Amino acid sequence: MAQPYRLLIVDDDEVILNSFKEFFTAQPWYDVKTATNGLDALKILKQYPNKIHGLITDLVMPNISGVGLISITRKMSPDTRIIAITGWGNHPGALASEADADMVLNKPINLFEIERTMMTLLTNPKEPRQTKT
Amino acid sequence: MNPPIIGVSRQIQKIRDLIGHVADTCLNIVITGETGVGKEVVAQALFRKSPRVNNAFVTVNCAALPETLLESELYGFEKGAFTGAQKKRRGKFEMAHKGVLFLDEIGDMPLALQSKILHVLQSGEFSPLGSEQDITTDAWVIAATNCNLEEKIKNKEFREDLFYRLNIIKIEIPPLRERPDDIPPLLEYYLDRYAAQYPDRTIDRPDRKTMEQLCSFQWPGNVRQLQNSIKKQVVLNDWNLVIQELTQTNPAVPSSKSAGNVYKPASPFSMISEFLDISKSAESIFEDLSLKKVKKKAVDRVEKEIIGYVLDKTAWNRSKASKILKISYKTLLYKISDLGLVPPPKNP
Repeated sequence: MAQPYRLLIVDDDEVILNSFKEFFTAQPWYDVKTATNGLDALKILKQYPNKIHGLITDLVMPNISGVGLISITRKMSPDTRIIAITGWGNHPGALASEADADMVLNKPINLFEIERTMMTLLTNPKEPRQTKT
Repeated sequence: MNPPIIGVSRQIQKIRDLIGHVADTCLNIVITGETGVGKEVVAQALFRKSPRVNNAFVTVNCAALPETLLESELYGFEKGAFTGAQKKRRGKFEMAHKGVLFLDEIGDMPLALQSKILHVLQSGEFSPLGSEQDITTDAWVIAATNCNLEEKIKNKEFREDLFYRLNIIKIEIPPLRERPDDIPPLLEYYLDRYAAQYPDRTIDRPDRKTMEQLCSFQWPGNVRQLQNSIKKQVVLNDWNLVIQELTQTNPAVPSSKSAGNVYKPASPFSMISEFLDISKSAESIFEDLSLKKVKKKAVDRVEKEIIGYVLDKTAWNRSKASKILKISYKTLLYKISDLGLVPPPKNP
């Protein structure tokens, strides 16, 4: 099998994070890293320079917010495909699009939908970026 | 001189770690914390670690100026923009170009200016008062506040969109009482620094007991208050006087007796001492501790105060008081005797 896609999933709610982790780890074509805040996520990004293929992040988090994490990821690793998940009204979502997330999805989350979206993004790196609200 | 971030506590180490990782991103930052915790020190540390260190660090205190002055301070004005504008003046946004604009007390910024600043943050452009020209600015905005901005948003005193735009990175500095481990290194640093101004004077370091007292003090004014106490020590060279003054001006301070014990983080347990004898060892406290008993004591205290208050206001008219308290007359009588409430002596 080819190299699995390395995903970084970030959410400060550990229950949600765990369900993400279980769901994606169950699929052998993903190598899943997780973090509960932006700073820990940033450290993982630095640990795998340009080798995080997909980032799924919540937006409202302590220390580095999801929007901050997306901006930093875009600079450090421009090819990483990014899905932002927002549950806090329109402002963070709009900022995430501005920071160039590939997709902004609203809570409540549907794991199948996120997985499908991520797979589409990963396998179509040239697909023009769009925002779904 | 700008002091470095001093401290060894887990919280301060985390802040240093965060600064190390984000200072080169130049993303908007909000620093929160009580007054005197050192928000500007953190902002300066971010600046020093950033690629902008050779440019300007410009501070604006948003609470110190009335709205119109603050506006001209931020954006500048053209000659003749208003009465008294005799010559053109650059605003702080322009001065902070390629540097840092530190907006202190952002929570106190008037709403009208909040929308204007939001526009600058979105577009990177602004125009000075009385000017038709747009100026581009690349200022790294670091904001600080001791207010709870989320609360202010709820009360419509702070713009939610501005909050999210600023709050890309959030640094929370905990109050000094929650990180007493930082007190000894802070003392060390500032004693040396202030003592250097009086090279021919002997200044005593705190002995163990004094250090324990200082470490268990609540420091409502945080590091700034600690600095002031150290300055006093440098002048008076008498820790007893310094501590005496601290305890007099802040009555909520633990007495020197309990402060002399082994360090206890005072803040999360500040109420315990009212219901338990915490000068005893943990084992002996635990022996006669019972949540039920503590609850009864706490409830009794509150009830005694409230019933006493109502009785006082009704001139001890028990039937009126029972109606106000919404309890039966009988219950009130029982509570009065149970709680040991006594009517005041009648005036002759």
